[in-house]
Amino acid sequence: MRQSSYIILALLLILVVLMLGLQVGSFKTNFATIADTFLNYNPNNTTQYAILHLRLPRLLLALVVGASLAFCGYLMQAMVNNGLADPYLLGTASGASLGAVIVFFGFVPISVAGIYLPPVFALAGAFLVTLVVVVLGYRKRQIIPSQLLLAGIALSSLVTAVVGLLTFLSDSEGKLKSVIFWSMGSFERASWSLVPYPSMALLLALLFFVFYQKELNILLLGEERAQAMGIRVARTRWVILATISVVTGFAVATSGPIGFVGLIVPHVTRGLLGITGRTNLLFCAFIGGLFMLLCDLISRIIYPPAGLPIGIITSFFGVPFFVYLLFKKNYNFRG
Amino acid sequence: MQAIYTLKQARFILQTLLCLLLLSCSPQEKQKEQQLVLHDDLGRELKLPKRPERVFALASSMTEMLFAVLDTSSIVARTPNCDYPAAVLQKPEVNNYPVDYEQVLALKPDLIFTVEGITPLEVAERLQELGVPVYYQKYETVESIFAGLEDIGRIMGREQQAKQLTDSLRQEVAQLKKRHQQSKNQQQVLAITWVDPIYVYGQNTILTDKLRILGAENAVKELFEQPYPALTREYILKLNPDVLLGGTKEELEEKFFNQYPELRKIKAYQNNQLYKPTDDLMSRPSPRVVASLWELEEFLYK
Repeated sequence: MRQSSYIILALLLILVVLMLGLQVGSFKTNFATIADTFLNYNPNNTTQYAILHLRLPRLLLALVVGASLAFCGYLMQAMVNNGLADPYLLGTASGASLGAVIVFFGFVPISVAGIYLPPVFALAGAFLVTLVVVVLGYRKRQIIPSQLLLAGIALSSLVTAVVGLLTFLSDSEGKLKSVIFWSMGSFERASWSLVPYPSMALLLALLFFVFYQKELNILLLGEERAQAMGIRVARTRWVILATISVVTGFAVATSGPIGFVGLIVPHVTRGLLGITGRTNLLFCAFIGGLFMLLCDLISRIIYPPAGLPIGIITSFFGVPFFVYLLFKKNYNFRG
Repeated sequence: MQAIYTLKQARFILQTLLCLLLLSCSPQEKQKEQQLVLHDDLGRELKLPKRPERVFALASSMTEMLFAVLDTSSIVARTPNCDYPAAVLQKPEVNNYPVDYEQVLALKPDLIFTVEGITPLEVAERLQELGVPVYYQKYETVESIFAGLEDIGRIMGREQQAKQLTDSLRQEVAQLKKRHQQSKNQQQVLAITWVDPIYVYGQNTILTDKLRILGAENAVKELFEQPYPALTREYILKLNPDVLLGGTKEELEEKFFNQYPELRKIKAYQNNQLYKPTDDLMSRPSPRVVASLWELEEFLYK
């Protein structure tokens, strides 16, 4: 199949799952209700209101977050030239968790001037920890990938320990529930006021990297050869790093740390389109979004109404696939 | 020098062994005379050598139950959360999360009372191994709390006191029922326990029975596995409750509706039926359940 056919197929599947997803919820709805919602919207009709203000933003957030994580996973694996890398290697997830926990445990009020603070603090935490990791992974005006990885792992462990300590010292069961719920990821908080941020970050990054794909592919050949081919390796790494921190930061801040998507979807992409396909990044983002939409749908169908935490579903379906890739002979994990 | 020390040590060990042997023999003899066999609400069988005299509770609601029925001197400890009645504050504190086993043993209780869901079964097993039996109660209705009080009375030989108390509590409940049983439009009440995620009082909680007594209904009709299920905004929109319990208007506005503006559509918000019940009255199944009923009555019919 040609690369463009894959892209079109992915888009069609996304539309199908979106339509299915719009039907799942507490109010009984069918295609006619959904069509009616978009054609003759009546804000006093609670069912229509739920479709437009609860279900649709939730699905879009799942799509965007899935796409963001897969996209950043792809970038990260290319940058450090390692198939085991995921977008959280910079400490984004643990930093975001720390930010959210600080709010949940009452060190700062839960909302100020009508702004709900956990996502704001999660974003700040993600950026802060990423910044420290980058500083630690930086030497002689260059990012050293191996050092960056180690710094990420070390700092993540430290931050996770702090989160663990705060959780242990928690004085109420409710706070614990908030933290557990947050740490496994959820799209239940999705609203029209939340969706634009991760969407804009992803859209800009995607547009940028569609034109930057060539540099990315050359980077996969290794530092020396990339340099020989006229790529400014150091600068490319900085660009990738900045993109990953912003896009992952927004994704994690809005939905919590959701595992495995950023790790497996890039492998699926390369398995289907080859290592240096021109449309790899775009396809990877689409498949990530599709996968997340499916996981969200499954989580809500098997455990209504609240849905199982999304991180459980992504791992459940992600891990067997990863194992399959491990045993598939003609797949090269390195990348 | 070395040899004398070893001799001393050996004597100490022998003495200890002898003591242990004596200790392990004596209760068995007593058991034959007045052994007490109990079955708790979870169907667990407990064998007590004698009627318990020193007891305490691992749940603050249970401490309230004990204080209502027993002689205060037979209650030997409290958990860090126990704060009612005021006299409880004079009792030594025992950590219940995690349970401080050494402290429990030091207090030498004959029996520990607790509530299903508060103390994990493995903790009870561990205490049992250490020689302290744990008696569980569970309550599904207001009446079952009263039955629990009588149960405590029976175990501790205070039937008379328990009976007096439950008679007067039952009378109060009967009066409340009489006042509201004819209520025509049963108000649908949703009570939240946490806002992020939204956890609520489910159908299988005592709140459902309390509301029934008051001629109202728990808005959550579906039976979930957990007593306090997590709900989505859409589910709550569909329930569309008449009354929302969980905080003052200002608190709910700031913590709940600010975060979930979509829920401003529910009747409770539109009609300003937002109330803050006293936490302990809502969450503790105790003799104060009647005070809780009065409070709820005030919200529903003032």
